[in-house]
Amino acid sequence: MVTYSWQDPAEGTVIATPSQLCLDDPSTAPAISEYCPAATRRASVQGVGGSDAVLAARLAAGDDHALAEVFDTFAYSVYRTALRVLGDNSAAQDVVQDVLVELWAHPDRYDPAAGTLRTYLTVLARHRAVDLVRSELRRVARQERSYRLTPAPAPAGVGDELLAAETASLVRAAVQLLPASQRQVVELAYFEGQTCREVAHAVGIPEGTAKSRLRLALAKLEEMLDRELLESS
Amino acid sequence: MTAADRDPPVLPAGLRERVLAASLRARAVGRPVPGAPEISAAEAFSRAASAFYALLCFLSDDDWRTPVLRGLDVQGLVGHLIGVENDMHRALAGDPEVADASHVESTQAAAVDQAVRPPAQTRADWRRAADRTLDLVRSADSGAEVAMHGTRLPLSALLVVRAFELWTHENDIRQATGWAASIPDTSTLRLMTGLAARLLPHAAARAGLAEPVDVRLVLTGPGGGTWDLTVGAGPSVPAAVSIVTDAVGFCRLAANRVTAGDLDVHVTGDPGQATAVLAAAAMLALD
Repeated sequence: MVTYSWQDPAEGTVIATPSQLCLDDPSTAPAISEYCPAATRRASVQGVGGSDAVLAARLAAGDDHALAEVFDTFAYSVYRTALRVLGDNSAAQDVVQDVLVELWAHPDRYDPAAGTLRTYLTVLARHRAVDLVRSELRRVARQERSYRLTPAPAPAGVGDELLAAETASLVRAAVQLLPASQRQVVELAYFEGQTCREVAHAVGIPEGTAKSRLRLALAKLEEMLDRELLESS
Repeated sequence: MTAADRDPPVLPAGLRERVLAASLRARAVGRPVPGAPEISAAEAFSRAASAFYALLCFLSDDDWRTPVLRGLDVQGLVGHLIGVENDMHRALAGDPEVADASHVESTQAAAVDQAVRPPAQTRADWRRAADRTLDLVRSADSGAEVAMHGTRLPLSALLVVRAFELWTHENDIRQATGWAASIPDTSTLRLMTGLAARLLPHAAARAGLAEPVDVRLVLTGPGGGTWDLTVGAGPSVPAAVSIVTDAVGFCRLAANRVTAGDLDVHVTGDPGQATAVLAAAAMLALD
């Protein structure tokens, strides 16, 4: 018996003879075209890369050479699309990475019948870049709101005084838009400096209700100030 | 794709390496998408046996008389498989007589004996023999070597070979009797493609491939995957070739039921070497 060995990462080295995957004489076996419909197409041996469908199938099979080909062919389009939206080189590179990792992790989400791979990737890039812009706007708005709601230290100059006055005006205007019951607790708590217990006593409501009204009021104020800042951005 | 389709290479330095590394952290090379639940080799054999038995249950008396292979009709082929199961029982018991026995000759008597029997009896006998195999492998060490019909394989690998064999003969019968071809479930197919890929270097050795070739084998579709193999031997520096083809088609090639020319194959590298490698894959079937 002739034996061979092969290295299997999972099982270590094992010994085998040539395998017998089918052990009978196929000389009288049926013609392939009769039971393998795909084989009725003309057989081909051709270069890889001419078809998005082939690239997609290779990606799905875990062929990282296909991923490198995708990068070499499409990465600049992805980068350029992201850069146009973001205007920032580093962020655009992050988008290239996000888009290609997404393609590699979920190649089955791309359907060659629905469009070219280039279109799919640039649309992904645009969506990702716009998401980043939105996320950045929200972050800036949060930062700005936090700054405006935090009592500033003694103003150092005329400019600071103006900013403080503007912030106070903006917040007071927003408070005026709250329902009366919520406006009352906010004014007592934040403009008169009362504790929740004192607010509850002053209004004649349980302390838990006072807290709940304050939470609701602050959520509405956040929303109003966010909108204000986003619209002015 | 033509060079004109490519974008100018003006990307920031290092981006390519960074992106490829991040991608491979998200999914390892060779892991197909969508994946399939991992199953044992015994389960793969059990599923192949169930599919084979289901087909037998649909056959008419005329179907059982239809010629299929090596001058055997369907009933004779099923008789041959009864003989294979019986030899497997002996191999699992360590009987040295079946280690080097001919796959065809040692089962020929079982094949011929069926001619005078009702098909239902042949079918029931095959089912009992396959069930006996399953009973025996459940209590056996899946890593233990089993010698049978000129092969010496770990039991787990032998069971995948046996699943391969049942699927191949199931499709021989399907074609002969006018039924549509079948495809194994993805989990079973993944075991079959994995085994065929790992054995490709041995097939190339049997085929006498003279030049060493580094092969990237990419099998597409359900049950596929990617393998890097070195086939052939010799002092020269291995050439590199990438072969992309359908997973089921490759299994039919490895079973010697189709030729490389029947498949859609995409190649990078020397097409002649790719053709030689694919021709060698058919040597996985010992006839």
